[in-house]
Amino acid sequence: MTILRVDLKSPVPVYRQIVDAIRILLVNGDLNPGDALPPVRRLALDLGVHFNTVAEAYRTLEEEGWLEIGRRSGARVVERAVGSRCDPETGEAFERRLREMVAEMQARGLSRDRIARELRRLAGALERS
Amino acid sequence: MSTETMLFLPLLILIGGLFHFVPVLTRPDLFFAVTVAPGFRRGGDARWILGKYRAIIWIATLMAIGLELAAGMAVAAMLLQMIGFLWGLVSAHRAVGAYAAAPSSVLEVDLATPPERLPGGPIGALLPVLFLAGIGLWVSFHWDRLPSRFPVHWGFRGADRWVNTTPATVFGFLAAQAFVCLLLAGSAWGLLNWSRRISSTGPGAAGERHFRRRIVQLLIVTEYFLACPAWFALFRPGAAAVNAWGLALAAVLVAFGVSLVRGGQGGSRATAATGAAPVGDRTPDACWKWGLVYFNPADPAILIEKRFGIGYTLNFGNRWTWVTLALVLAAASGLIWLR
Repeated sequence: MTILRVDLKSPVPVYRQIVDAIRILLVNGDLNPGDALPPVRRLALDLGVHFNTVAEAYRTLEEEGWLEIGRRSGARVVERAVGSRCDPETGEAFERRLREMVAEMQARGLSRDRIARELRRLAGALERS
Repeated sequence: MSTETMLFLPLLILIGGLFHFVPVLTRPDLFFAVTVAPGFRRGGDARWILGKYRAIIWIATLMAIGLELAAGMAVAAMLLQMIGFLWGLVSAHRAVGAYAAAPSSVLEVDLATPPERLPGGPIGALLPVLFLAGIGLWVSFHWDRLPSRFPVHWGFRGADRWVNTTPATVFGFLAAQAFVCLLLAGSAWGLLNWSRRISSTGPGAAGERHFRRRIVQLLIVTEYFLACPAWFALFRPGAAAVNAWGLALAAVLVAFGVSLVRGGQGGSRATAATGAAPVGDRTPDACWKWGLVYFNPADPAILIEKRFGIGYTLNFGNRWTWVTLALVLAAASGLIWLR
């Protein structure tokens, strides 16, 4: 499924939610190299947000190497070259963000069991991919 | 009773009937242009508000009929019925406001939804305009083949307004027809490109796509029906075929109307209202005035699904709406001035 969800009440800016949601679809293989994304105008209209919000999200994904944005062809998913090794800061940032998110979810009332179950599910999906 | 009155009374009853049914044709979680909880429309409060609205509508319609029968004041009767409708709508809109529900803040879009295109492509939509341009080109070289007078308006009894054949009347007539066709083609294009897709998956999305396609087809078909009388007017001015043409247009409009009504606004009648939070039409209640006029500068959409009735309305908060309206008005004024 290639459903993009945006929560207008979330404290996370809409542009960041779009980037995160599309990135998840890309990582999960729901969007593959060659797939076209909706034009900026179309996505902005459907979400009811400003064109610049979507354009900014697409630009961020282009900078990360996920998309190629052509003036006429629009946004298209490209094969992304990822190095087999990443710098130590990236690994540390990942651990920190994961811990922060677990703590935040616990603070918001999500049970430890639920968090652990979700992490196990994610780990399983990662190992299978 | 005069013939006009005999024709006018069924029209008043028909309009009253339309007003009667319109509230149940909207999206399931909208009621009198207010976002409500799924299932609210089936409750006792909703039924009472609907009953009161319908009572006002029919009282106004009966008064309008009485006015027409007693004094033959058709315009005043129509106005009276319209005032009754607005009064019923505004009072129902205010009453439902007390039961307004917050719409879901989560929006979903399917990134894989294919783009929707004009049936027949841009050429198909612009063919009637090209046809009219072709007639214009042909008559400029074969002026002597035109009749001395030609009709520019048709009523129930055929052509009822004729003008002398001069370059101004002929080209003005063709330009006016072409302008209306362009307006219809532009509306169809705008509907596909500048309106919001509300449902992204399931039967809701399919129903909505079908609804949009029907309206676009209606606009394009109407374009073809409007372009052809230009040919009749200039080359077969007295032909009875144009009356059959008018009947065919009326039949097509009724067929499309029935199809749209069966699907409900946005094709939503096939979709049962489910879930805790209503989806509505993804526009904020606060941006609607009496549920009829939409003004939201933060919304990039130009065409918005009506909250009351079938079809689309304009977002008057979008500056491009005003630019488009100004262009249309300027073109219309230019044509009137030329004629």
